Amino acid sequence: MRKRAFITMTVALLAATVLYMTGAWAADGKPTIIKPCLQCHKDEPGVLRGQLGTVSAKAETIKIQIGPATWVVPFDADTELIGEKDFKNIGQGKEIAIHYVQEDGQLYATKVYVKPPAVVPEEKLIKLEELSALVDKGPEAGNYTLVDARPGPRYHEGHIPGSIVIYDAQFDENVDKLPKDKSRLLIFYCGGPT
Amino acid sequence: MPAWKKAKMPVVSTAKYLQDQYKEGMPVVVIDLRPVDSAKAAHIPGAVSIPAADLPNMKNAFPGSKAAPVVLYAETQSEAMPSFAVVRGWGFKNISVLEGGFPAWKNSGAELASNQLATEIVYVPKPAAGSIPVAEFKQIVETMPGDKFILDVRDEDEAMQGMLKGAHNIPAQDVADNVDQIPKDKEVILHCITGIRAEMAYLTLKEKGYNARFLNANIEIDKDGHYNIAAE
Repeated sequence: MRKRAFITMTVALLAATVLYMTGAWAADGKPTIIKPCLQCHKDEPGVLRGQLGTVSAKAETIKIQIGPATWVVPFDADTELIGEKDFKNIGQGKEIAIHYVQEDGQLYATKVYVKPPAVVPEEKLIKLEELSALVDKGPEAGNYTLVDARPGPRYHEGHIPGSIVIYDAQFDENVDKLPKDKSRLLIFYCGGPT
Repeated sequence: MPAWKKAKMPVVSTAKYLQDQYKEGMPVVVIDLRPVDSAKAAHIPGAVSIPAADLPNMKNAFPGSKAAPVVLYAETQSEAMPSFAVVRGWGFKNISVLEGGFPAWKNSGAELASNQLATEIVYVPKPAAGSIPVAEFKQIVETMPGDKFILDVRDEDEAMQGMLKGAHNIPAQDVADNVDQIPKDKEVILHCITGIRAEMAYLTLKEKGYNARFLNANIEIDKDGHYNIAAE
């Protein structure tokens, strides 16, 4: 009799400990945003930003991968999906944001945002012919500054005539190389996917 | 840049590029387009004299490899442009005009030569300094020897799609600030997806006294760490 009570108590205590630990872990240790997302977003409570793992329609759970950690977030028909029609259409590894609420220690996804493709608006793009005409004029006559965003050695090896180099990774330290006149046309180019 | 080059638009290189190539012992074809007399008097070391007027008939003198780096120079940058169009038209992808013309070379304080013009274009391709042969890279990935450290310098989000087994990830632009995470007693083997970022990181590590080499080839890695390498 005494033994059984002891076991029950131990099990209950163990369960409580496990519950407490996973809860604490979720709250403190587990990352809630991956680094690439931090370029445009902040780490904010109630939002997970990472890459889609798998979606189980049966279990009504979404797995989201955030660095080394996997979160499993329940959802249902009331969960709002923004940026895609169906969960089925989102590819694995796609960047998503899950807005969630926590009820009795259980997560629930209220909204799931799918990252829209990074598009440079059409009016911000320069056509090759247009650039070519400007390059023929030169930066002074054409009143523009052309910036090669590739690393220095690539620039020295071969660049568009009249361009200056500001390596993208060192852009912040080199903003002083940009023209003082902020109304002047700035054109950037890079090496495409490397 | 790829779209610009593909459209065969003008490309210029700097005196620094040529100096660096010479310093590293890397082959580059340098053509002096000025009249032979001016060229003889003072020219860039190793240059071949082909006056601009003769150039269109000299296609056969050029290297067989269209990937050969070629630098053309005249007295001014714009004078060399018509010749650029000619040689670019033959299909040479890595051709450029020396920015600022011959005076830019002189003003850079670099060495000058006289009466040592080469008469023939000689081009012997050489792997980029610090690059690792593809076969050796594969062997290292398969066997993962204890004295090697594979460093994947792609961005974090790219690396998350799949990495080589046993590789470590530090994005190329973060390598300089994170050298404490890279062991000094191992040879560091770098890769990205084309060799461009890997080479940047290689230069960073070399400067910091590391023993390193990089994969100068296109590599694709799937989420299970399987990979495919295609040398360009």
